[in-house]
Amino acid sequence: MPLCGINRIMKEKIQALIAEAEDKISSALNDTELQQIKGYLLGKQGKLTDLLKELPKIDVSLRPEMGKAVNIAKDRLTALIEEKRTALQLKAAEVSPDFDVTVPGFTPAEGGLHPITQMCYDLNDAFRSMGFEIFQEDDITTELYGFDKLNFPPNHPARESMDTYWLEGHDKGEACDKLCLRPHLTGGSVRYMQTHKPPYRFVYPGPVYRNETTDARHERAFYQYEALIVDKDFTFTAGKVMIKSILSKVFGRDVPVRMRAGFFPFVEPGFEIDMGCLVCGGKGCSVCKHVGWIEVMPGGTPHPNVLKAAGLDPDEYTGFYVNIGLDRLVMMRYGVDDVRLFHSADLRFLEQFH
Amino acid sequence: MKLSLSWIKDYVDLPSTLDTKQLSYDLTMRTVEVEGAENLADRFENIIVGKILSIAQHPNADKLRICTTDIGGETKEIVCGGINLYEGMKVCVSKPGAIVKWHGEGEPVVIKNAKLRGVESYGMICASVEVGLVDLFPAKEEAEVMDLSAFDAPAGTPIADALDLNDIILEIDNKSMTNRPDLWGHYGIARELAAIYGLPLKKIENYVPTCAENDFTVEITDTKGCPRYIGVRMDGVSVKPAPYAMQNRIWKVGMRPINALVDITNYVMLATGQPTHAFDCDNISGHINVRRAAEGEKLELLNGKNLSLKSDDLVITDAEGPVALAGVMGGAKDSILPKTEKVILEVANFESRGIRKTALRYDNRTEASSRYEKAVDTQRVDQALALSMKLFSELYPEMKVTGFCDRKYSETQRCELDVSLDWLERRLGKRISNEDIKRQMTSLGFDTEFTGDNMHVVVPTWRSTGDVSIKADIMEEVARLYGYENFEPTSITTTFEGAINQLDKDLVRRIKEYLSIRCGMQEVFTYPWMETPTAEAVLGGFDGVLALATPPSPEEKYIRSSLLPNICDAVVKNERYYTDFAIYEEAQVFADRNYVSKYDASELLPEQRRCIAGAFAGSSNDITGLFRKAKGVIENMSRYTHMTGFEFRKEEKPVWADDTVWLNVFVDGKKIGDMALLARKTAMAVGVRNLAVMLFELDTDEMNPFTSRTNGFEHLKEYPVVEYDVSLLFDSAVKWETIYTTVVGKKNPDSLVKEAAFVDEYHGKQVPAGKKSVTVKLYIGADDRTLKSEEIEKCADSVIRKLEKVLGAEMRR
Repeated sequence: MPLCGINRIMKEKIQALIAEAEDKISSALNDTELQQIKGYLLGKQGKLTDLLKELPKIDVSLRPEMGKAVNIAKDRLTALIEEKRTALQLKAAEVSPDFDVTVPGFTPAEGGLHPITQMCYDLNDAFRSMGFEIFQEDDITTELYGFDKLNFPPNHPARESMDTYWLEGHDKGEACDKLCLRPHLTGGSVRYMQTHKPPYRFVYPGPVYRNETTDARHERAFYQYEALIVDKDFTFTAGKVMIKSILSKVFGRDVPVRMRAGFFPFVEPGFEIDMGCLVCGGKGCSVCKHVGWIEVMPGGTPHPNVLKAAGLDPDEYTGFYVNIGLDRLVMMRYGVDDVRLFHSADLRFLEQFH
Repeated sequence: MKLSLSWIKDYVDLPSTLDTKQLSYDLTMRTVEVEGAENLADRFENIIVGKILSIAQHPNADKLRICTTDIGGETKEIVCGGINLYEGMKVCVSKPGAIVKWHGEGEPVVIKNAKLRGVESYGMICASVEVGLVDLFPAKEEAEVMDLSAFDAPAGTPIADALDLNDIILEIDNKSMTNRPDLWGHYGIARELAAIYGLPLKKIENYVPTCAENDFTVEITDTKGCPRYIGVRMDGVSVKPAPYAMQNRIWKVGMRPINALVDITNYVMLATGQPTHAFDCDNISGHINVRRAAEGEKLELLNGKNLSLKSDDLVITDAEGPVALAGVMGGAKDSILPKTEKVILEVANFESRGIRKTALRYDNRTEASSRYEKAVDTQRVDQALALSMKLFSELYPEMKVTGFCDRKYSETQRCELDVSLDWLERRLGKRISNEDIKRQMTSLGFDTEFTGDNMHVVVPTWRSTGDVSIKADIMEEVARLYGYENFEPTSITTTFEGAINQLDKDLVRRIKEYLSIRCGMQEVFTYPWMETPTAEAVLGGFDGVLALATPPSPEEKYIRSSLLPNICDAVVKNERYYTDFAIYEEAQVFADRNYVSKYDASELLPEQRRCIAGAFAGSSNDITGLFRKAKGVIENMSRYTHMTGFEFRKEEKPVWADDTVWLNVFVDGKKIGDMALLARKTAMAVGVRNLAVMLFELDTDEMNPFTSRTNGFEHLKEYPVVEYDVSLLFDSAVKWETIYTTVVGKKNPDSLVKEAAFVDEYHGKQVPAGKKSVTVKLYIGADDRTLKSEEIEKCADSVIRKLEKVLGAEMRR
């Protein structure tokens, strides 16, 4: 047989094998079949191996060329098999087109902070960013720190048992002898000032207690949040900036603030601080009793007698104080209409604030 | 308090261009909170004066008449059942569209044209009760309609104009002026408005007594309780209705007209803020004396209350005994009666605290006492006297003053203050010119004098009874009149001395966030007082538990010595709606012991600890699962919140706990709380129906936060560690802790068993009685090589041998 004849036959065989391989590989249904096909083509007894075995029969001068052609064919077959394998794997991983993406997701672990705690932490974060410390103190206090040190006149109505929860066996006598659940936080602020060196800049969150008849707007236990700055020559206009930035942070938008004349024993001058009604944007609605403003907190300059009680010279020091009612602020944030829900421990209510 | 704008205008000429909204705003921003401003005329829309021209009997009803009525330019037929109708009578006609109350009862209704027993009626002729004017036009009988014949207004005049009801009534928030005794009358508010708008305030001229020498005298025994007392005896008065204009004003601001004598005293108080009182002279024997009551002395008040007096009550007496409770209320004996012809008018000043105490003692606070208790200046008496005498002479031209006595023991002194202008500027953040300050302060009655940096201020008497007493008060006056809204905001400056580092506060927050966010628990708030039955069941008694003197209810007397009773109540509440839930609370608990002077040496405060407590409620079929859920939360708390870890031991079973499922929790060897299954018996006592409840309570004050994150770093393992599960049968009583110690021993770096973990515990059909099957996961590996499978098998085998030998374990078959 002429050399070129063998050469041509050999080439034809390679071509035929590739054609057969392409056909087989493409019709493989799964990885097992593909594995069998691979053995049939490239295995020890495989077709390509058979072709290699024929190489010695070829003239020496043609062998390199033929050898090269067989190797190209081998690479080609290997590539086809790998390509098919990937395709089969992808196909196996395919999700049914019927998959329902409208089924609801799994809920991560339920649980949450009380909405008042959330508000308190939001405020803590805001005040901390302005360099305020957080202060905390006991629920039970004496008349001395509940009233006397706060410039409450001796016959002030709040001192009567109607308004304050005095402790049994500790409700007689004066000042230090009388114990009560704290009616407000300001007495604690005096303690802070007595034990720290000025200037002061702190917030004081905590529950307070009043002996009241409860209804949707009134509670016996509620949360206050006091903020106090004491420094030399602090002006009340800087206090306005402080309040504005805090409220804007809490409500996530610019909140108009106004201060007007108000009276509280422990401040002089005292203010009622109003924020623009967020429900109607100041136009007037039922929430703000048609005035466009909502009373959110009392505030003012600590009364000289309070500063004196804390051991400071009121001629040298002054400051700014606000007392935020957290219950009310949270009610406004979410539109809660009954303050008693906060102490209900009712999960149906609390779960709404996760 | 209600104020009539037209009354205020008696004392200050407010510009006609000033609208009510602006006035309310300015008063709110500068002085007191205006809660509402109502135009009274709005209540009387479509209600007019009508004149009855002729009356005919209704054809179908005995009691009804058909009144042909002139309603101003036209006549209409109105069916009416009034018993006092007559031709020519002026009546009050509600036209269609008017809002009235049928017979003064029920919801207001809108008047429409209607047929009454077959006869068409245009609107309605009203009784006073139907248009809300019964106090001004009292009817003798129910079927009487209002007779307006005495009024000039022609037919067709709106009733609001005819009856002078075109007035704005301002509602002031009383709370916003408790510190301002000067504002409790129209004159005081007029003074503020005059200052706000820079207008002159009209004076009330003093009264000059005209009576000569007389036998009338007043004695003051307690001159401290009564620093000033004026008595005026008058003859030739009588009980008759006050003129309409006076009644109208009294009624508009919320009081009821009674008769001219009583109305004068009320009118004076509403105008000046100074209460006055009129005694029937014939009922006073001897002269008036103001003294403290004798203990147990009796007094019957005008309102019928019978008092047994205390020795610190101030009383007005005559020769026979008390006739009035000073500053609070007159007595029944001396009151004005229909035949009264002579009166003694009392215009007096009483000390505020005593009045308040007495009024509260007898639960008898009045318009007078609430004014006195705010500390009225002694000089206000002059103003009230002047106005009273003016009114008496107007209403009783024939009246004669037959006695006058003015006892004055002390006077309110004008307070004097010096204020540095530099200080004022620094505190206000703004310089206000001396002229502006002077002008504003003068308009409020303050005298000011400027010398260099100093401003000398003399406070008016009506602000000198405690209200203005320090220089900060002056700053407030200057600032509020300048207008708080007119101060530009200034920035807050501060010096930072370092970052704020509050480990304890941060720890509590981290714990709460850990429990809520990582562990899926819900934070709750409960009250500091406990329900007595629950607390008794949970705590076992009330030794050392503090109580309230005036509790919210008898069953809520004790305040918490533990958070758990209220947590249990919260579980009970939520069991109605949930079968699987977890809650916690962080708050203080109290105990009647360990009294300490924490802050101030002069006071002793009881033990107060900050605790965190919680409950895991779930099915009672899986106590182990519930226990492991709770324990996992407590065990991992320290790791996630960066504090010293807890240890668990059984030392002292909590009273409320199950006999077996309980643990005490320790930090550095000190007990800080408990964690246990709520005993079924306790659960039943507090009202838990079906659920099993795991409770915990920990003292957060005893926790020990790390100063920084202290997680160490470990190199990643170079060689694999293999997980290998073995299941073995143990005696039921063998504890996991024993198994674990046996497997791991003292941790030895050369040991191939790096760690062991609990997988599960099984009691079931295949497990013999008294035994349990425990599956342990072994972590097997070496630090210097990859283990061969034979080595792993050998290692696992040796562990099994050890468990068999030491704990009598058997392989499961």
